[in-house]
Formats: sequence, structure tokens, C-alpha cells
Amino acid sequence: MQKKLNEMAYDEEGVVVKIEEDLRQKIAGVGIRTGKKIKMITKEPLKGPVVVMVDEAKTSLGLSVADKIIMEV
Amino acid sequence: MRVLLMGHPNVGKSVFFNRLTGANIIESNYPGTTVDYTKGYMRQFGEDIEVIDVPGTFSLDPKDKAEEVAVKMLRDNKDAKIICVVDASKIERGLYLLLEIIEEGFPVVVALNMWDTAMDKNIQIDAPELEQILGVPVVPTVGISGEGISAVVSKLKDITPVDADAIVERMGGI
Repeated sequence: MQKKLNEMAYDEEGVVVKIEEDLRQKIAGVGIRTGKKIKMITKEPLKGPVVVMVDEAKTSLGLSVADKIIMEV
Repeated sequence: MRVLLMGHPNVGKSVFFNRLTGANIIESNYPGTTVDYTKGYMRQFGEDIEVIDVPGTFSLDPKDKAEEVAVKMLRDNKDAKIICVVDASKIERGLYLLLEIIEEGFPVVVALNMWDTAMDKNIQIDAPELEQILGVPVVPTVGISGEGISAVVSKLKDITPVDADAIVERMGGI
């Protein structure tokens, strides 16, 4: 099933299938690209950022970023 | 000679800086400890070498003030040599910034820092192979114990820019 990264549940794992074009370059630096396994760690309330695990490293992403990343879970 | 310490936040650049210059700037186990640059000197190869501790950045496409400082430092010092500090236990994401710096035409030495942590996590890295692919020196280091740091410094003397396209070719294309 596909869903946006910000729609993932706590502890849920998925693989990145699509990233919006204009965002691709921006988040490559934190190691997020298509084919990457990502695990949801924390979702902050009130439109706060999400914290995800990528390659053993925690990375926080704003919601505006997270909802442009499509995951296969 | 001027040397810039570059790398992601929280990979140990400031520990490196203190080791190299004998300074005592604040280190902590949190990303974003260094938000402005610090300058120091080390005596090496019979000259005083300026060492600059650059704030951590994930890429050369800045997203906050500290990253802006980092990218500006790089662009303002076209003749600098770079020590790119990479967290060996999170090596893959560190390679992106490294390649960006190589692409900009800077001579680079790679310090695979926190090598001990990577070993503890059973992450095996073939440093000589990586060195061959990248065409730049790759040195395993442990910042807090000082292991490998003198090896990094000794490599600084002879490094030259490498062709990023040749790296892609050695990897067998994108």
C-alpha cells in the first residue's frame, strides 16, 4: 500500500517510492532517496515535524516536506 | 595553506579542530553545536596552516543560517584544502556532501570518523576500495582518541582536485 510519509504510523517502516521533483535534491543530503527504507520514530503534535530513521540516523522533516514523499508500506 | 573542516552536523569536526590546533572550543554530542566558524593554526610541513572549523551542513544547498555560513566559507576559500569528516557509522549519507565538495573542485581528504562506533555496530567499510573509487585519500579515524588524525594531516600536503565524472565512471555510471 502506498501512503505519504507523514501518514505513516509510529514504528511503521516503508520504502520510498516517489519524491516530488523539486524536493529531490533538497533531501538527498540527509540520505533520503527512492529505494530507501525509512522508519517513523516520532510525530510531533500540532503540525510539528516528523522524526524518521534513515540508515541508523534520526532525521526530522517538516510536514511540508514529509507530505511530498510517497512510501510503500 | 588553509584547511576547512567540513561535514554533517555531529560527526566530530570540532573534536578534530581541537586535536589539530590544540584549541579548546566547545564540543558536544548534539548536532548544531558549531553555528559559526572558528579559526586556528597548526604547525605542519614547516608552515603555519590555518584550520577552520566550519558549521555542519548536509549539502551545499543551505537550508538554515549555520548551513549558509558553511557554504559561504567554502565559496570564499576557493584555494582551501578540505578535510571532509564523515561519520563512518552513517557513511552513506555522508558521501553526498563529500561528492558535492569534490564536484566543486576542492582537494579533499576523507576522515572516516567514529570508526570505533562503526566497528561496534558491525559496519564493515573497505577504506582502500573507497579510496580507489573516489580517487582521494580515505583515512579511518577516532577523533576522541586521536587515532588516524596524524595520517589525515600527512595526506593534506599532496592532495589535488579529482574529476567527479571519473568517480561516476568507476562506479559504472549512475
